Amino acid sequence: MTDVTAAPARRPGLSEDWRAALTGSVASITLTFIVVVAIGWFWVGPKFLSFGNISIIGTFVIVPLIVGAFAGFALLSGVVDLSIGSMVGFSSALFALLLSLGWDPASAGAVTLLACLCFGGINAIAIVGFGAEPIAATLGMLVALRGIAWVLLGSQGSIFAFNLDMFNLVSTTVGGLPLFFLLAIALTLVAALVVTKTRVGRHIRAVGGDDKAAARAGISVKKVRVAALLLSAFGAGLGGIVYAAQLGSAARATGFGLEFQVYAALMIGGYSILRGGVGNPIGGALGLLAVAGVSNILDLKAISPYFVNIIVGLLLLAAVLLDRIRGGDAYE
Amino acid sequence: MLRNTTTRTLAMMALSVPAILGLAGVAEAQDKFKLGMAVGGNTCCEWMKSQGDVARALAEKEGWDYVELSNNNDPATALKNAQIFVQEGVDAVIQFNGQPSSNPAISAVMKQAGVPIVTYDIADPGMYFVGIDNLAAGIAGGEGLGAIVKEKWACNPDLVISAEGAAAGIVNEWRTGGMRTGLKNVCPDIPAEKWVSFESQGDAAVGLPAARDLLAAHPDAKKIAVVGLNDGGVLALINAAEQLGRADEVIGWGQDGAFITGDNVNPHLAGSVFYFLEGYAVYAIKDVIKPIAEGKEVPLKADAGDPASKVQPCPVTAEQAKAVPDMAERVKQLLAAPAGTTEYELFCPNKG
Repeated sequence: MTDVTAAPARRPGLSEDWRAALTGSVASITLTFIVVVAIGWFWVGPKFLSFGNISIIGTFVIVPLIVGAFAGFALLSGVVDLSIGSMVGFSSALFALLLSLGWDPASAGAVTLLACLCFGGINAIAIVGFGAEPIAATLGMLVALRGIAWVLLGSQGSIFAFNLDMFNLVSTTVGGLPLFFLLAIALTLVAALVVTKTRVGRHIRAVGGDDKAAARAGISVKKVRVAALLLSAFGAGLGGIVYAAQLGSAARATGFGLEFQVYAALMIGGYSILRGGVGNPIGGALGLLAVAGVSNILDLKAISPYFVNIIVGLLLLAAVLLDRIRGGDAYE
Repeated sequence: MLRNTTTRTLAMMALSVPAILGLAGVAEAQDKFKLGMAVGGNTCCEWMKSQGDVARALAEKEGWDYVELSNNNDPATALKNAQIFVQEGVDAVIQFNGQPSSNPAISAVMKQAGVPIVTYDIADPGMYFVGIDNLAAGIAGGEGLGAIVKEKWACNPDLVISAEGAAAGIVNEWRTGGMRTGLKNVCPDIPAEKWVSFESQGDAAVGLPAARDLLAAHPDAKKIAVVGLNDGGVLALINAAEQLGRADEVIGWGQDGAFITGDNVNPHLAGSVFYFLEGYAVYAIKDVIKPIAEGKEVPLKADAGDPASKVQPCPVTAEQAKAVPDMAERVKQLLAAPAGTTEYELFCPNKG
């Protein structure tokens, strides 16, 4: 005789794993992504999935993917870092400035990343050391870094540092797809493995989910959050360097509003801005790709890009609603 | 659950996207000439959209295919658009890139693909330059303002403010500096300490705080003359003066003519220099694109000082500008005119 109290009823024919995929944190974004691809395929035609077009989408989602993969660690640990867009702008400005002063790219990149880590450290001191609200502290850093970038860029508001070798490097393709896009995808997968399969990942999610419980379990909440904020700054710094290499320059507009683009996509992908412990780097990456796909469809159909913002806003609302339908806080 | 979710997500994608990927075709064959147009995409200015409308209409008149994208006033988007144009198989591109920091990369992409590109008003060594004679436009505007300053204030203003737009580089020096030169041509004895500048970024809204700060630093200045990179920059100062209740004694003269026609012309904008920005495609197509479409060799003229096509400036007072139709009407009349007719020929009240 079956013990009906031992386990919840299961739908016949649907394995636990597949149910997890269909109802889990990345389920809605996976379906959204597939719908975007399908719309692109039917509306734009085969061109949408040509290697050339995927290469274009990939090229311009490299920076958000890198920044998102690292910023996701901060979100998972329960701290939102609003300074990532400005950090990208600062990083590109400093990197371009050093290149224009004759530095070699490797040294310029190392110094730039170090500077970004310093600013990430200031975020960490404010938030972890002094208990400042992450939104308030990183908002301050957002404004300060934007100002520093503008100072570095000087009265012209831009620094030209076009380096053909560097441009060719970031434009290199492997199997028809941009090398750096593939690297960014690989980075996302590594981040997903760290988050889902390692003790470090479990600690990060535990800290974000309930920091008091995590502390009782012997996890150093402070160490985890400091590391997450440093990673977030490092990712943004890396993104800025890639931006400068792609564009051959840095300008006031570089990275402007990127924090909203990245966090909107991460939320669409299953992360939560205010609730740590929720989300998966793969969901975040799919969110970014879905938004980039929508933007590309509008480009290829010659529709005003302003519609992208409307669609992203609606997707965000839908993601929030789905999160609530799934159970919100109780879900995780 | 998360471990399985990761695996299943990858499985779902593996079943859907890449399966279709292999079926994707390559760009369709084309025989018609195809023109790409990247509009500026800054919401500040209606003329950016109109530049695309005019280019589209003229391309259609020529029987060409036409693809239009918006740079969204973003350097990364401008570069992305360049790659989309290459993918779309365009034969030539026209762009207005208000964020020219990405121009070197765009040039590299276009050069690699062998696609000629025309740029409006902001020069790049790899692009055909089509634009205004900036220095002449600046001097003409400055002299126009000088005439008013001489008449109203006997060439004795308290302050002459320059609304700079440093990102435009040499164009800013020609236009804003040219206006100062023009003003000095009429009023040569304005003391050096009366000349001050602020960074307007060529945008009325963006430049407003800096304009406010500048006025706050000169509380006693009553008679203020304003020159600048464009109408938007000059309006930043005028709007700031209005906010501070000090607009009565401000006289501005802009460049580009973007805000000198229509029903809501600011009364303190005494004049401007029409470039008829929306109609630049006439010059670009006549002097660069059409010869290329006909298989002719067009030498690359990328220098703003020696452009591929020079747009003539048309200085006007606000009073004279009333006789010039608004932009929508100008576009309508331009498209109805014989091929190659410019808006300068159609509408400038002070034709040389």
